[in-house]
Amino acid sequence: SNSLTFCLLQFSLSFGIQDDHKLSASELEEKYGTSINKGLSSSRAAEILARDGPNSLTPPKATPEIVKFLKQMVGGFSILLWIGAVFSWISFGIQFAQGAESPFDNLYLGVVLALVVILTGIFAYYQEAKSTNIMASFSKMIPQQALVIRDAEKKELPAEQLVVGDIVEIKGGDRIPADIRLISAQGCKVDNSSLTGESEPQSRSCDFTHENPLETKNIAFYSTTCVEGTATGIVINTGDRTVIGRIASLASGVGNEKTPIAIEIEHFVYLVAGVAISIGVLFFIISVSMRYKILDSIIFLIGIIVANVPEGLLATVTVSLSLTAKRMAKKNCLVKNLEAVETLGSTSIICSDKTGTLTQNRMTVAHLWFDNQIYSADTSEDQTTQPFDQSSPSWTALSKIVTLCNRAEFRPGQENLPIMKRVVVGDASETALLKFAEVILGDVMSIRAQNKKVAEIPFNSTNKFQLSIHETDDPNDKRFLLVMKGAPERILERCSTIMINGKEEPLDSEKAEAFQTAYMELGGMGERVLGFCHLYLPENEFPDTYPFDTDSMNFPTSNLCFVGLLSMIDPPRSTVPDAVSKCRSAGIKVIMVTGDHPITAKAIAKSVGIISATSETVEDIAKRLNIPVEQVNRREATAAVVNGMELKDMSLQQLDDILCNHSEIVFARTSPQQKLIIVEGCQRQGAVVAVTGDGVNDSPALKKADIGIAMGIAGSDAAKNAADMVLLDDNFASIVTGVEEGRLIFDNLKKTIAYTLTKNIAELCPFLIYIIASIPMPIGTITILFIDLGTDIIPSVALAYEKAESDIMNRRPRNKKKDRLVNEQLAVYSYLQIGIIQSVGAFVTYFTVYAEQGFLPSTLLGVRVDWENNAINDFEDSYGQEWTKYQRMYLQWTGYTAFFVSITIQQVADLIIRKTRRNSIFQQGLFRNKVIWVGIFSQIGIALILSYGLGHVTALNFIPLRFQYWFVAVPFAILIWVYDEVRKLFIRRYPGSWWDKNMYY
Amino acid sequence: MARGKAKDGDGNWKKFIWNSEKKELLGRTGGSWFKILLFYVIFYGCLAGIFIGTIQVMLLTVSEFEPKYQDRVAPPGLTQVPQVQKTEISFTASDSKSYEPYVKNLEKFLKDYSADQQTENIVFQDCGEMPTDYKDRGPYSDAQGQKKVCKFKREWLENCSGIQDPTFGYKDGKPCILVKLNRIIGFKPKAPVNDSLPAEVMAKYSPYLIPVHCAAKREEDADKIGTVEYYGMGGYSGFALQYYPYYGKLLQPRYLQPLVAVQFTNLTYDVEVRVECRAYGQNIQYSDKDRFQGRFDIKFDIRSS
Repeated sequence: SNSLTFCLLQFSLSFGIQDDHKLSASELEEKYGTSINKGLSSSRAAEILARDGPNSLTPPKATPEIVKFLKQMVGGFSILLWIGAVFSWISFGIQFAQGAESPFDNLYLGVVLALVVILTGIFAYYQEAKSTNIMASFSKMIPQQALVIRDAEKKELPAEQLVVGDIVEIKGGDRIPADIRLISAQGCKVDNSSLTGESEPQSRSCDFTHENPLETKNIAFYSTTCVEGTATGIVINTGDRTVIGRIASLASGVGNEKTPIAIEIEHFVYLVAGVAISIGVLFFIISVSMRYKILDSIIFLIGIIVANVPEGLLATVTVSLSLTAKRMAKKNCLVKNLEAVETLGSTSIICSDKTGTLTQNRMTVAHLWFDNQIYSADTSEDQTTQPFDQSSPSWTALSKIVTLCNRAEFRPGQENLPIMKRVVVGDASETALLKFAEVILGDVMSIRAQNKKVAEIPFNSTNKFQLSIHETDDPNDKRFLLVMKGAPERILERCSTIMINGKEEPLDSEKAEAFQTAYMELGGMGERVLGFCHLYLPENEFPDTYPFDTDSMNFPTSNLCFVGLLSMIDPPRSTVPDAVSKCRSAGIKVIMVTGDHPITAKAIAKSVGIISATSETVEDIAKRLNIPVEQVNRREATAAVVNGMELKDMSLQQLDDILCNHSEIVFARTSPQQKLIIVEGCQRQGAVVAVTGDGVNDSPALKKADIGIAMGIAGSDAAKNAADMVLLDDNFASIVTGVEEGRLIFDNLKKTIAYTLTKNIAELCPFLIYIIASIPMPIGTITILFIDLGTDIIPSVALAYEKAESDIMNRRPRNKKKDRLVNEQLAVYSYLQIGIIQSVGAFVTYFTVYAEQGFLPSTLLGVRVDWENNAINDFEDSYGQEWTKYQRMYLQWTGYTAFFVSITIQQVADLIIRKTRRNSIFQQGLFRNKVIWVGIFSQIGIALILSYGLGHVTALNFIPLRFQYWFVAVPFAILIWVYDEVRKLFIRRYPGSWWDKNMYY
Repeated sequence: MARGKAKDGDGNWKKFIWNSEKKELLGRTGGSWFKILLFYVIFYGCLAGIFIGTIQVMLLTVSEFEPKYQDRVAPPGLTQVPQVQKTEISFTASDSKSYEPYVKNLEKFLKDYSADQQTENIVFQDCGEMPTDYKDRGPYSDAQGQKKVCKFKREWLENCSGIQDPTFGYKDGKPCILVKLNRIIGFKPKAPVNDSLPAEVMAKYSPYLIPVHCAAKREEDADKIGTVEYYGMGGYSGFALQYYPYYGKLLQPRYLQPLVAVQFTNLTYDVEVRVECRAYGQNIQYSDKDRFQGRFDIKFDIRSS
């Protein structure tokens, strides 16, 4: 299906345009029934609008709210609880029909269970709605206007009302309102980055230049922008039928994969539900064969289900994830889908864009060459000074050319902003030079004012140079200064001398050689190199009244003096190298995917560490050993730079081979469509893939990836819609902080689940022993719900705030198949060890309460039938005293409360031990996570309120408990802590031992 | 993430249950199972030891003779014999089968009250024929051996003693019930203050008596109850104080709690008649939640044929 998606994409895109790009203007007029001069008539336009619908993209089909809500009602454990509720109502019905004394208990229980499901469902729904709302803000777009010719008049219309056949005029700065076939264009350039991701403006004309409608120059696409010039065109596609519309609908066709955490939670739900159902059924059979009534057996079954299901856990997980999502949003990772939080943590490959993500997305002067020497310039984000040697007179000359031969200007009114943040009118290179000059020389604009420009030839592609002539600021020097910059080889051709240390020297072959070497070296670093030269025009030939004419070029443009080279690059963000090395130690492979030139891509990859200093590509090895590329042993090369053209001809096998055998990979000159292929290739390796993207064309790859990351600043709306996460600062380093948070939450969810599962055993054992030993019921179903949804909630959320035990970024990404969220060790340790200790502790309290009231443990065994018989009101205890039914019930509720309090007290210990899985609590610090203490106090506080505050509400079955019973379980709480410390000690002492393998979860 | 899921067929399940290559049962080899089982045997062994140990320690703090707390069992309940489901006595006077369970229940209960069961003078003490004051028998410990117990003569129950009429009046449609106050160790019921009682109860007042009185539960049933006869010690309808306090099963294993027999001699047939019996005393209370505290109610449904 992988390549199929790609083919489909290509096909459907081309299909939409048909061959409009090949037709002549008159053929087009005929085809669309329009006139280039008069446009459509309003009535005809209205007809077509009615036929085709408005010119806007249909938003992705949203699931109806009610369906979303109902899904929450039946997901996870809800089904089990519904079964419990239905059973409760059935047994109520039967008891009611039989006229039993207190059938309403079961009715209430059913209602409570249903309420639990509904409330947790509402909560989950609300959480999901909240995170969806964050994204809704992105899809809001400002209504766009378009200039249309209709009824032979120019009209400003909302772009939504455009129809096929409309004649529209566009100018620099406009967004293209629909897919347009151009019929006239003046210097029109468009920025197709929202479509292709390439931000280099492309020129547009009315000529048919390419068979492929996507490549031809006479079509402009919906949602791209016109950078400069003007054009007129016929609308050939609107709304969803535009190229963008097709991609958007295609992207929504790429199925959303389940997130790793969703799989883990599903796995966990199955596990717990499996345990619940099998124990439930087993004890149903046991109780039936022990001759309990079927009805009683059903009631036991409900109790077992309720005891086994951690009702509050899924809500807790949601809260923990959304807390992390909030934390990540602060670190500029906005998570759309809560589950993506963890996906980021299990990421094993990041396919990153270069421009804007790894780099600063602005040209910056990186190197200079003058006086036969290369100087490095500061390329950091907030350069304030430049440290290279500026004492040479050659630099003075060079700086003058840089300042004067430049048409870029700062927008006015930004004097207070740092230079690097000011907005500049002009292209990327000129902006770089302007800012560079401003940093070193200060006020460039006043320097230009002092050196008045008298003539200028702007850059064009035939000349490949830019030239201007200035008066000088030296009042004694009446000569004009001619300054020129352009492609280095072209500039050198025009020079006969070269400036060395301020002196003009003849340009001999040795000096030309030095120039070549420097030019190659700078070019080899992937930088864009410009040459600079000047000439002082002799005063006698060019007096100050000389009429310079740029058309006839009545001034010299050869035999100039070469001054130097400047090279520019879009430099890496300063935080990126660190982030890449973090990824490396975290076992995450970073693959660069860019549309840029391989040399530039490789240079940036090397400077940020995606290709490490010591590793070589096949080509590097060939060059070093001086052998043909074919003879190199491909296994020796750790790095690879793959060109998009090569990728096109590769089989899937070859791609897999590259992805498998090279640890450092750069894909250069790739189209956004190829990104999808790369992502699928990585996923075939079993990797969890994160992909960054900004263009509309990236959206299929973003959807396909396990986690799609859209750029918040540069990203298009379509990319943001397709992504799982939005990077607010477009910075690669933010992804890495996100990964860290994701890994932490996975660890912490493990702790939360271990904590929550433990007490389920302490809730379950009473039922089992009640059935088998026929003792009075130790804990009620409602009481269990108060633990699961009351005392336990805040502590389990508090574990989400736990700090990492060791450097989680020094670990390999988790193996999806092996490192489960809930593994055997976790379940077994929680259920069969800590859970059992808790049960024992709680039973000790239970027996203590009964013994001190007159029922010694031996008396309690086997009393269930008489104990629960309403007719027996003189039930004899161990001392010969007689109890009425109500007195016994009251004692039973006291037992419930005591059991509840004991579980709560031991859960405090459980909470403390769950802070770490390997380290001692004392290494982790008992007080570092303050929220844990909030959890502990809330737990005890809620228990106190339930026992003493609500102790008189009969329906809740809580009784004000004697104070000393709060402490009966304390020794067991201490036992839990000590035992767990011993466990961790052995795990640390004997790594890899039997103990480590069986006890570490 | 459906990728790779298809591979997990049922073949894997079978392999998980018994992997013949690695000789693994449920993912563990024999040796591994042995180790883990040994661990759990030791672990649960220790835990069982701790549990039994703590329970033993707890039991050391509890006296054999009296419970530590009695706040849940007091004030005492008032119960009747025969013990009936749904507190309903329903029979046909002419059909001995229909009242047999009640009669058997009464007979069984009164067995301990027969004269031949109260002959040992080491155990039993004659406490007179008239209500007198409490009989304190020293501390709640076995330092002085077992405590003596007051005799209660079955004959005092007259028509309801089952001596003359083994059917306790049921064959004549004049059913007897026995009323008793639940045993509570050390509890000394206090006789009521006289002006707080209904007139019928005042008729035979003694300062050493906890009177018992039965009346219609509902006003409209008042005329259906007919005459109610009470039999007890010295003809008093109540519990004499010399039977209190109770010293517990260990010190008074053969304790006889005082009884009052109530016979309904003229109940209306073929209707449900609700009767409520109450014991009266300063420290005997009634509760809405506990319908057997200090009182109970019982339904009679006597069918004429």
